[in-house]
Amino acid sequence: MEILEIQDLNVKFTTPIGEVYAVNNASFTLNTNETLALVGETGCGKSVIANTIMRLLPQNAEISGNIFYKGNNLLKISDREMEKTRQQEIAIIFQNPTLSLNPLYKIGDQISEPLFVHKKISKKEAFNKTTKLLKTMGFQNPSKSYEMYPHQLSGGMNQRVILSISLTLNPSIIIADEPTKGLDNELVKDIVEEFKTVNKINNSSLLLITHDLSLARELSDRIIIMYSGDIVEITKTESFFKNPLHPYSKILLNSLPERGFNPPKGNSPSMVNIPKGCKFHPRCPHKKKICSEKIPPIYSIDGGNVRCYLFQ
Amino acid sequence: MLLISVIVDCVSKSYSSGLFSKRYDKILSDISLEITKRKTVGLIGPSGVGKTTLAKIIMGLENPTSGKILIDGTDIWNAPSEERDTSLKKIKMVFQDSQGSLNPKKTIKQSLYDTVNLMGLDASTRESLVLELLDRVGLSSDIFCRYPHQISGGQNQRVALARILLVKPEYVILDEPTSALDIAVQAQILELLNNLQKENNFGYLLISHNIPLIDFMSDEIVVLDKGSIIFRGETKEFTEFNSLKNKNSFKV
Repeated sequence: MEILEIQDLNVKFTTPIGEVYAVNNASFTLNTNETLALVGETGCGKSVIANTIMRLLPQNAEISGNIFYKGNNLLKISDREMEKTRQQEIAIIFQNPTLSLNPLYKIGDQISEPLFVHKKISKKEAFNKTTKLLKTMGFQNPSKSYEMYPHQLSGGMNQRVILSISLTLNPSIIIADEPTKGLDNELVKDIVEEFKTVNKINNSSLLLITHDLSLARELSDRIIIMYSGDIVEITKTESFFKNPLHPYSKILLNSLPERGFNPPKGNSPSMVNIPKGCKFHPRCPHKKKICSEKIPPIYSIDGGNVRCYLFQ
Repeated sequence: MLLISVIVDCVSKSYSSGLFSKRYDKILSDISLEITKRKTVGLIGPSGVGKTTLAKIIMGLENPTSGKILIDGTDIWNAPSEERDTSLKKIKMVFQDSQGSLNPKKTIKQSLYDTVNLMGLDASTRESLVLELLDRVGLSSDIFCRYPHQISGGQNQRVALARILLVKPEYVILDEPTSALDIAVQAQILELLNNLQKENNFGYLLISHNIPLIDFMSDEIVVLDKGSIIFRGETKEFTEFNSLKNKNSFKV
């Protein structure tokens, strides 16, 4: 069942160097109990989509399109209603776990804060709920951990604290924006395990934003590939790794270590002067005349969706 | 004894654990390795194990508590300062954060020319040298007037490499050269590094925590854990060692 539906989302920023089209005609759905990975290079607009869903974009952003969450259009509801939706319905986890925690507050207080704000429950109840949550997240001695400060914990533990905060109000959707950026392999393994437990205990959907394909493979059910503001492919994760459709997806997979680090030719376009037509055509090995003239629509084949004229 | 190599001989490093504390924490103990020309040594270990500290010791930026660093036979911590300087010129380092290692207030052109100006060349040679090397690392002169924050991570990494090529070192230390880059860009940089090695006979010390990357690039692999070497051998042997330890269960 669909829990979040995004229709024709366009995000444009007006900047001193020109207009930046960060997201163009993005449409996708997130189902209940599903992990959806949003993969793409730095600067392709992944985080912009996440921030648009949470309505956290700066003033200079122009947004059009619809984001339906349980029948409500998140772009139209009032700020007050949006405040309720954040944390309670949709929670977001940002890149750097240590920096997203307040260094001056005990982690237990930070985890229980949403309970006071949204649920208005007693102190004792909040303490009990927090320690229970810490325990499920793998802290051996929860009442001791409650009293600790972020600098006393490692990066991986802080990530678990952040996850606990996002889980306090049992949100239906968790958005994780690059949860493993800059962490070493051991920690990444830990985080994969945590996300798996979260899925088990909470039944929530996860929108995973990452540039790490191996993480996406480990966790996601479906995968979305973005290139320079466009969604170029949406498929099941399994079939993506077996048989990628879009030429860019193929190139991306070939640059993985186990496929021998085959580097792609050329660089991704700057967001200010983007190529006409399909944005990938200057680097594409299969380019046709039409590619440089018109942006291809999305074609569906065997359960996958791809934005490329090869599948016309 | 082979004199054309960088030899790290039983290097140890301790830091005092507080300003007035008498207790010392041993970061590195008895590290020995050798960087030879045309070969890549991969240094791998979890974060905080002292990989970058070792690199700084080899570069002469920090002094070892005990042990020796020999660059082509010169013991850099006991040689006369003039000899030491010439030896240290043979070795250069690419830092983890390439954007951070360029001066944010200077354009790419100024950053590159700062390096050449010290070499005492005349203006026309200088310009042709810079342009040639920019071309070599796959950049065009369009980026000359840009500042480091205006170009991408991959481009910054290329500028850092061009700057190193200008001074013609013999050994290069690469500290996590691709950790901040996307996989597609990472593959591009690795190809460039391999080509540069073939052309210039560089000896590389490649520092990373990315096992597949080290596996792909290195001829010899050194594994650090808790400050000491737990494995040193050829890449083939490392694969066996690694499957034994099964540390790499998370991979595609």
